[in-house]
Amino acid sequence: MAAISSRAAQAATFRLVMWGFTLMTVFPFGLLLLTSLKSKQDLFRGAFVLPDRPHFENYVSAWVDGHFGVYFWNSVIVVIPVVGIGVLLGLLTGFAFAFLSFPFKKTLFVMLTLGMMVPGEAYIIPLYYEMRWLGLLNTYAALILPQIAMSVPFATLFMASAMQQLPRDILEAARIDGAPRGMILRKVILPLMGPAISSLGLFLFIWTWNEFLIPLVLVNDDALRTMPLGMLFFQGRYTVNIPVLTAGAVIVIFPIIIVYLIFQRKFIEGLTAGASK
Amino acid sequence: MKSSVLDGPVRKNLVFVLPGLLIYAAFVFVPILSAVGLSFTSWNGVSRPEWVGLGNYAELFGDARFFTSLKNNAMLMAFYCLIPLIVGMALAAMVSSIRSREQLAIRTLLFMPYIMPSAVIGIVWQWLYNPAFGPINQGLKAIGLGALALPWLGDFTWALPAVGMVAVWYYFGFCMVIFLTGMQRIDPSIFEAARVDGAKPGYVFRRITFPLLLPEIRIVLLLTIIASIKSFDLIFTMTRGGPANATLVPNIYMYQLGFQLSRYGYAAAVAIIGALLIFAVNYVIHRTIRPRDGA
Repeated sequence: MAAISSRAAQAATFRLVMWGFTLMTVFPFGLLLLTSLKSKQDLFRGAFVLPDRPHFENYVSAWVDGHFGVYFWNSVIVVIPVVGIGVLLGLLTGFAFAFLSFPFKKTLFVMLTLGMMVPGEAYIIPLYYEMRWLGLLNTYAALILPQIAMSVPFATLFMASAMQQLPRDILEAARIDGAPRGMILRKVILPLMGPAISSLGLFLFIWTWNEFLIPLVLVNDDALRTMPLGMLFFQGRYTVNIPVLTAGAVIVIFPIIIVYLIFQRKFIEGLTAGASK
Repeated sequence: MKSSVLDGPVRKNLVFVLPGLLIYAAFVFVPILSAVGLSFTSWNGVSRPEWVGLGNYAELFGDARFFTSLKNNAMLMAFYCLIPLIVGMALAAMVSSIRSREQLAIRTLLFMPYIMPSAVIGIVWQWLYNPAFGPINQGLKAIGLGALALPWLGDFTWALPAVGMVAVWYYFGFCMVIFLTGMQRIDPSIFEAARVDGAKPGYVFRRITFPLLLPEIRIVLLLTIIASIKSFDLIFTMTRGGPANATLVPNIYMYQLGFQLSRYGYAAAVAIIGALLIFAVNYVIHRTIRPRDGA
């Protein structure tokens, strides 16, 4: 009896601790949402006081006056080509590293892994001058091209390892039928790669949506800023208008939370599986 | 590597490799090489770069601010790595005894910070920490701890731990999820056998759970230590390295040297040291933590 009740007590303690930590994680998000619905007067009455009514106009001012509408569309304009071309290049280069032979294959592989380890901060100065030399500073291309390039190593490794797990006999059968390789890639491999492609797409979406350094350094025209950068400069302009600032933060975070909740299993499995390799 | 049925003549193979490799070379690899080259020069961004050999690196050895940034980075590692690792492992051990639906909910929520943009997280926490109207100090005053309501990010002593706590908040859920996956991989009959033999929980953890979790521990160490060396977004948005260099880290120093003081060669040397540190961490962790075979 005593053993059973002490085990029940232990289980209850564990649950309490777990939910305590969970609450700690979620609390800032909840507070963000609450504050984004307050008026400035509500804010003076205390951080944890409920507003008399939800002030959705904060979102309108963030979207229009705070330029979050512009930042949002810039993020979309950058994310779509980076994810699309990143996945496409991952398929092509991954296919090559998985199945084809070409000179310096090992060396090129090491070069790619090098690029995965070296942080963007290490080469941002030469990248800035390269972009200036190409006349691409303050263009969408300055945001898109480097981020595609930065996704090539991971996309290649990810796709190559997924393709190596495909059943060999299917590929052999297709080859014996005499189909050209481009067609095998499109008609045979591509349909089997659905889960890998969607995982890669998700990672590239999150990384690109969250990217801070590239837009910080390569763009200084407000009309081209993406969401995290827009948020930083908005904060600089309106430090005191906390309700509108938090509304802006909700606008940045909301798409990620939606995507995360829809694909959360895939996310966690993908990131932890990718991590333990 | 064995040749595949899909292999063909090299000339035709190149069609598949070149697009990806060329764009990678143009915007990542060549800039990396240029950064290495630049670190051997003195350059203000306007005139011709002047070759100084290892001069920048020699100057770094005598640079007190650089050592401050390294020291801060070492302190931050405790927050990026050590605390999330310990908390994450303890929570994973606890949550594995909870029902599966509830466990899934907890796991989903705890993992959430990890996918958020760290720049936005930094701005949000700057507001939470605000000395005048920030919710943290309001909360402390409300429960009668007004004496503890410090100007967190503006305080020389507390700025670094305050930034560090955000990193703890950001990473502990991620660590927990990885350890939980690892624990689910372990065969439950091992624990059953240990219980039958009368092993105490502490002993089971030390002798069974911990060694079997080594692959996960390795990956958590690798990712969090590297993240601490790479830290930029969070600190840039919260303190910009201030007050008075209290939260200065190498990447922030690199940014100041390059984009504010136009000492590009010297800044590149700082950046290269950061990259070398990452290589070193990678190497050391791969060499020292070796999971037994089968993992």
